[in-house]
Amino acid sequence: MEEFFQQLTNGLAVGSIYALIALGYTMVYGVLKLINFAHGDLFTIGAYLGMTLLASFALHETIGPFLGLIVLALMVMGLVAILGAIVERTAYRPLRESPRLSAVVSALGASIFLQNAVMLIYGARFQVYPEDLIPETSIDLFGLYIPVVRILVLFVSLALMAALFIFIQKTRIGTAIRAAAIDQDAARLMGIDVNRVILLVFLIGPALGGAAGLLVGLQYGQINFTMGWTYGMKAFTAAILGGIGNIPGAMLGGLILGVIEALGSAYISIAWKDAIAFFVLILILIVRPTGLLGERVADKI
Amino acid sequence: MKKILFILMAFCLLTATAHAQDTIKIGLMAPLTGSFASEGAEMKQVLELLAANLNARGGLLGKKVELITDDDGSDARTAALAAQRLTTKGVVAVIGTYGSSVTEASQNIFNEARIIQVANGSTAIRLSEKNLKYFFRTCPRDDEQGKVAVDAIVKTKAKKVAILHDNSTYAKGLADEVRPQLEKKGIKIVFFDALTPKQSDYTAVLTKMKGAGPDLVFFTGYYSEAGLLLKQAKQMNWKVPFLGGDATYNTDLVKLAGKEAVTGFAFVMPPLPKYLPSKSAKEFLAAFKKKYGNEPSSPYSVLAGDGFRVVAAAIAQAKTTDADKLAAYLHTQFKDKDALTGTISFNAKGDRVGDVYRYFKFDNKGNIALQK
Repeated sequence: MEEFFQQLTNGLAVGSIYALIALGYTMVYGVLKLINFAHGDLFTIGAYLGMTLLASFALHETIGPFLGLIVLALMVMGLVAILGAIVERTAYRPLRESPRLSAVVSALGASIFLQNAVMLIYGARFQVYPEDLIPETSIDLFGLYIPVVRILVLFVSLALMAALFIFIQKTRIGTAIRAAAIDQDAARLMGIDVNRVILLVFLIGPALGGAAGLLVGLQYGQINFTMGWTYGMKAFTAAILGGIGNIPGAMLGGLILGVIEALGSAYISIAWKDAIAFFVLILILIVRPTGLLGERVADKI
Repeated sequence: MKKILFILMAFCLLTATAHAQDTIKIGLMAPLTGSFASEGAEMKQVLELLAANLNARGGLLGKKVELITDDDGSDARTAALAAQRLTTKGVVAVIGTYGSSVTEASQNIFNEARIIQVANGSTAIRLSEKNLKYFFRTCPRDDEQGKVAVDAIVKTKAKKVAILHDNSTYAKGLADEVRPQLEKKGIKIVFFDALTPKQSDYTAVLTKMKGAGPDLVFFTGYYSEAGLLLKQAKQMNWKVPFLGGDATYNTDLVKLAGKEAVTGFAFVMPPLPKYLPSKSAKEFLAAFKKKYGNEPSSPYSVLAGDGFRVVAAAIAQAKTTDADKLAAYLHTQFKDKDALTGTISFNAKGDRVGDVYRYFKFDNKGNIALQK
């Protein structure tokens, strides 16, 4: 039983990262019906930027670790958001009226470009976050060892997701995003500037992806330029699992995927972990073709 | 004006091709991109250094040696394409590559094109069991590595061992090699499974292994995963000794895992040049440090260098670039030659003969020490 709960916390920790990245996929899909393949690489860039900013400003030393990390997170999110907007401007907007396949190819191209740019700038070696940034202690909770970093990561990602949910549901801009997701033309007729909505989506999604990159760096310490692909694949799967285009679905999908992976490797086989996760995905899609929370056709955000 | 330009260009092209025929081309197939890009970059550095030195001494058979590099992307499909491109460029021999599954994808292509291939980081047994006439390797095989690993495990007096691999050709091969040998010695294998490489969270794996209660974990995969495993085991407060295969070592491992987590981590691998007393190893080390500012971080780039030296020596001694004659020379006459990693001979299968593996352990300062 102890092992079960330990595995459950393992799964939730990984799943919260998946969920955070999945939000970026699902928001873009909701508005544009486009799979933003470059999203995984924006996540990678978030991780690398976090490392660079940590090394160059050492904020955690000057203004204290807690405030330092918050400022750092805001800087990373801001920079990655700007990059996301640039990607939208250069790789997607010129193809807005072209067939969807062209946009997908452009997305793949943007992904390859960003990945290789990271490799050429930072080198192909694994990069490491500075040590002893966050105390490497573990909390002993009824015999479960849970590292402090892990709890921090879980709470930060849950807080970011909650903030996004409230923003989308309760604010005017959030309503505009939802409207654009349902019908772009109708939204335009209602006086919503759809281009600005799309730009906004490309600011928010990458910001969350960048934050996820920073969290992965802080938690595991080790980053490399191909990590966006592995995490991106999983996050994309999570988005589909929860119903692509649906924001709470992406959150739920991410957490569920993480937990399935952890429990699958605990009770069936570690080597079959991914196969089990995808098997569950197929089962869910057979019963609910739109994903767990997807309504009708998956077109809502 | 246009005409002059045209003639000038034609002249340039002509001299370029004429010049190209004056060189002996040796290929390097290495992971310059992809997950093992760091290994590939260093392989390229080593070969460029050795080729420059060789050319400074007059080259081979009165010709300059030209290095032709292609990228296998640490991926079998990319490797097959790279191998095909190399075969069209008139190379005599190809050095490379890193990763048994990647090498395996290129083997038949080189063999059919009658090009000598000297693999540097591909230790899976079956690569040399295919009767390929032109295939050689400077790294030893996994059965050799397995023997040393088994000895090391027996020495630790562990009674219950967990074996973890990553399903790659190499890691699974080594794990399968070691398992029955340990069981024969009365050691119980309490855990045998594979992790998925390239992820950052292995706590699920560690939690499961911990449940099996081993005295020792033998991990046969690669160093990035080894770093994460060590780090996360420490975070979980699980104090089990780890032993790794030769791919778990890289100078970056200390950074990846942290000094504290890496303390006591033991592994088997072919020695880095700084642990070798030979004159050529020392000279190479000094030259490498002078040119690139650091020591080579992986034994496999050095083994690539040995591959290059083997090919160069064979061409010089056999006085030919004919693949059949070179292969015959390497198989039969190339015995106990001085290399950067000890001495090299090849058997009939093209495998390196002799014990190369050593047993190392990390101390608490992040340095490795040779164990007896």
